[in-house]
Amino acid sequence: MQIPYEVSPRRDTGLFNSKLGVWLFLASEVMLFGGLFSAYVFLRVGIRDGVDTPWPWGIDVHGKYVFAGFINTLVLILSSVWVVFAWVALKERNWRKFQLYMFGVVGCAAFFMCVKALEYNSKLTKHHGIKLTDNAVLEGKIVNGTSMLDFEATEVSVNLLGGIPAIIRDLDSDAVFTVEWKGGTVELKGPGQVRSWFLRARREARRGLVKERKRYRNELKSDPATAQPVSVTTSATLVAAEPVAIRPGGRIMASYSDTSVSYRDGTTVTGTLQRDGIEFELHQINMQLVMLQSQRDSMAWEVIGDESVKDQFFAEQDKAYKKLRKHYGEKPVPEHMLRSHIINLHDVHLGDHGDHDGKKDHDDSHAGLEVHDSTVREAAGGGGGKGETIVIPREKVRFFGSHGPRYGNYYAIYFTITALHGLHVVGGAIVLLYFAVFGRKLFLKNPEHLANRVEVGGLFWHFVDLIWIFLFPLFYLL
Amino acid sequence: MADSSTKDFTKEKKIYTAVAIALFTATFVALAIGKIEFFDLGAPGPGAMDLFIGLGLAGFKASLVALIFMHLNHEKGLIYKTLFFTVIFFAGMMALTLFAEFDPIREQYDTIKTTGGKLLETELYRD
Repeated sequence: MQIPYEVSPRRDTGLFNSKLGVWLFLASEVMLFGGLFSAYVFLRVGIRDGVDTPWPWGIDVHGKYVFAGFINTLVLILSSVWVVFAWVALKERNWRKFQLYMFGVVGCAAFFMCVKALEYNSKLTKHHGIKLTDNAVLEGKIVNGTSMLDFEATEVSVNLLGGIPAIIRDLDSDAVFTVEWKGGTVELKGPGQVRSWFLRARREARRGLVKERKRYRNELKSDPATAQPVSVTTSATLVAAEPVAIRPGGRIMASYSDTSVSYRDGTTVTGTLQRDGIEFELHQINMQLVMLQSQRDSMAWEVIGDESVKDQFFAEQDKAYKKLRKHYGEKPVPEHMLRSHIINLHDVHLGDHGDHDGKKDHDDSHAGLEVHDSTVREAAGGGGGKGETIVIPREKVRFFGSHGPRYGNYYAIYFTITALHGLHVVGGAIVLLYFAVFGRKLFLKNPEHLANRVEVGGLFWHFVDLIWIFLFPLFYLL
Repeated sequence: MADSSTKDFTKEKKIYTAVAIALFTATFVALAIGKIEFFDLGAPGPGAMDLFIGLGLAGFKASLVALIFMHLNHEKGLIYKTLFFTVIFFAGMMALTLFAEFDPIREQYDTIKTTGGKLLETELYRD
């Protein structure tokens, strides 16, 4: 039976069915993205200066990501144009042209997702921030996997009633352990054997617990005075034949000391801490969360250990402040500007001692930020220090992470909205690709029907483009 | 099966091309306004005027896409009625953020006074 009104419009609505359907669907999508944009406004407006992770506003902060967003905007606009030309080609009954335009649209979608993937990869793996205990933030990149500790384990105590210990994933294939179990000694080589043994031991421990509980309940019923409490072995200790190198870190680790590491799943590792410093390639310093008058005494300078970096930072800060002072004239510089990245976030280079001319700049008429060191060095440009790293002691670190959703409210809402938008791009591209590849049969049977389907698919595609048209300025330009 | 009832789309194609050029141009303009300091109206960084221009340009582009590409300039009344309610709900969600601004439970944090360009003590004050 033919579904009615797939081609001809209904007399009451004046529309063919799928068109009304897709507009109702788009109305619901507006609600979805409207809620997310509303969340964006809440999060941005609700940032507390000096307390919350600063919102990275302004085009300069986003650096090369602006270019990626700009290219993506052009690509999506192009795809939007091509989808409407594909529909026109169908209306003109030109199958070949329709296919070419459609493949172009899908190609644009693929290109968009590739650029987005590169952007996500850069944010999630190539950019890190380390917040020190005085709230100074060092921006750059954690290198050599030093976000994890280096620890040599001699004993591992596992919780037999919990989940599979996370440490098992970290073991090398030649790690050898012995464990006292069922009255004997068992030797385990490699993570596979350790895992198998653990699953057996856990099963035994759980059965033992059930049996003991039953015994205890029965004894309580018969003679409560003599009932022996439940006693079950709930942990086991694996002893390493030779110290095993492990790299604990991240959210699976609860705490550590020089001789032990505790995991959140209840595992405790005994051994020797080899290294806990974080090796860091420093690119920028962000002092937005440090009071201006405390910045010169920040622990960041002690951690970095390079006076030239401090000089660079404050030289840039002075330049930025003088620019603001020139803009505001006699009026005081507003607080939000003094707390902004304009004053407090600057690129720095390690080991870059630049072009010192030793010029004294004590000119009070500029009314610049107080400079305790009477010698102001010219901020050196370019050169030196690229690839050089510093090692940050972990006890001085309050928080560190990549520029992922956890990093701050901006990143949280950015990943939420762009990821959801990306899923819409993928879904729309799949539908349009289906029309391009499998639509010939319907084109030959009823071309107007296919044209209507493509029109409806195109409406969804234009909506996806509409969302991005607003996303780009909100996340990259403003 | 040949369908002989196809109309001529030359005029529509010209309109779509013109809209495409307008969209690309507006994107370049938005980026230029953001990048070139001369066009940074008001205080450095995104102020009210920059927000107005940025979102205004986005709105202009969105209008072109909606009216021309999505054919909203000659759609049936039922679609407009559906979208009317959508607009009301969307405006309502945006209005929620305005209501939050009038929340009496607020707290001001440290503020820095500047006098004669030198930074002085902080002051904590409450509403």
